[in-house]
Amino acid sequence: MEILSVENLCKNYEKFALKNVSFSLDQGFIMGFIGRNGAGKTTTLKSMMRLVHPNSGTVTILGKNFAEDEFYCKQKIGFVLGGVDYYPKKKLKTITNVTKRFFPEWDDEKYQSLLNRFDLDSEKRIDELSAGMRVKYSLALALSHNAELLILDEPTSGLDPVSRDDLLCLFQDLIEDGEHSILFSTHITSDLEKCADFITYIKNGEIIACTDKDTFIETYRLVQGPVEELNPNLSSKLIGVRKHKFGFEALIKTIDLPMVAGIEVSAANLEAIMVHIERE
Amino acid sequence: MKNLLYKEFKLATHPTTYLFLSFGLMLLIPNYPGYVGFFYICLSIFFVFLTGRENRDIFFTVSLPIKKTDAVKARCMMIAIIELVQILIAIPFAFIGNSINPAGNLAGIETNVAFFGFVFMMFSIYNIVFIPLFYKTTYKIGIPFLYGGIAFGLFYVLVEMLVWIPSSIQTFLDTTNPAIMLQQIPILIIGIIIWFAVWIITYKKAASNFEKVDI
Repeated sequence: MEILSVENLCKNYEKFALKNVSFSLDQGFIMGFIGRNGAGKTTTLKSMMRLVHPNSGTVTILGKNFAEDEFYCKQKIGFVLGGVDYYPKKKLKTITNVTKRFFPEWDDEKYQSLLNRFDLDSEKRIDELSAGMRVKYSLALALSHNAELLILDEPTSGLDPVSRDDLLCLFQDLIEDGEHSILFSTHITSDLEKCADFITYIKNGEIIACTDKDTFIETYRLVQGPVEELNPNLSSKLIGVRKHKFGFEALIKTIDLPMVAGIEVSAANLEAIMVHIERE
Repeated sequence: MKNLLYKEFKLATHPTTYLFLSFGLMLLIPNYPGYVGFFYICLSIFFVFLTGRENRDIFFTVSLPIKKTDAVKARCMMIAIIELVQILIAIPFAFIGNSINPAGNLAGIETNVAFFGFVFMMFSIYNIVFIPLFYKTTYKIGIPFLYGGIAFGLFYVLVEMLVWIPSSIQTFLDTTNPAIMLQQIPILIIGIIIWFAVWIITYKKAASNFEKVDI
């Protein structure tokens, strides 16, 4: 079942615009929302949550239009920008006591078990938590009000590799029940390699790919060879060419491979794909 | 709304608010401009918004399943409660102050019925300038407070001038004579009506400004 659908989301700023952003996510999957800094990831997420006003577009959560059923949709979403960074001097229990009042489906037992599972002490202040623990606290809040869709903006930014891995494993655990889904933005491609089922790629406010991770990676190959091989025909097929003293390297679409010969071809990973696409 | 008000008092209210509520005590100070104590509550309202900005209160609030306009309504209600409570706390001190300072207040209007009517009007003026202006951006706080403070100050000077310049108005306003204070009741009622009406306008204008803001 489709848990999230974004259709033709547009938001115009003076020097930047989201252009017809569309993608969807089914229940029980993790989608990585990828793009470089300033590509429009946070603007998209905020527009979806109507924290900024989109000029047009529709967001549907579990079949309900967000603009018309905002209350219902917000019950079903756990939205986290980074980690919890509001009221840093307040204790977790104070924030929780305020937050839970707004959610009729709040489950205290579940909350306590999540605190134990994440090793969170409700007597601690927010600013006493590490970046990773703050994300976990926000997940505990979201899951305790029975959020089915977790929308996380760069949850792994600033985390050490161990904490990042821990969090990514947690994401995978969370979706195992088939009910929860996660959309998380990141520019850290290794996060996506580890746990994303689907990739939505945004560049300059436009979605340039929305597909499952393996298909996305299989769409491209890395090529390299001597600069002399760079004839106009080949150059027109290459993406993000980088020349160096030993030759060139670039990305090429897998479907264009039969048209090139005599150059070295290797599998691409997400980081290489992103770097070359952004170099274009 | 009950939950939002709980949030306002549990998370957003600055501790100085409770301290400044006790500044009704300043009405006991002999020969002191009585309106000053009430400006402190305006200052505490400014602190609520200031610390709210630093604590990312707006992001936290609008992430909850609520309407944006309700976030503004709760904040406006919290302010109204604070202002009313301060006036209620000040009333007994006005009586006590008048009884322990029988010579009257040489530094401004006597703390009488009209005085409290003017306090309601001052709060109205501060609210309508400061609150909607803040919600135009949700991050600029200094300028709205400056304008709110100036508006409060100008009205303060205006109403104090009424008792500085010898006239029948001065005689009517600058007294604690019980018979005249009874005649001042319409000023208090007008003050309350203005305060309430302006509160509604303030909320509507602030909510409409806030609706347009991208967070």
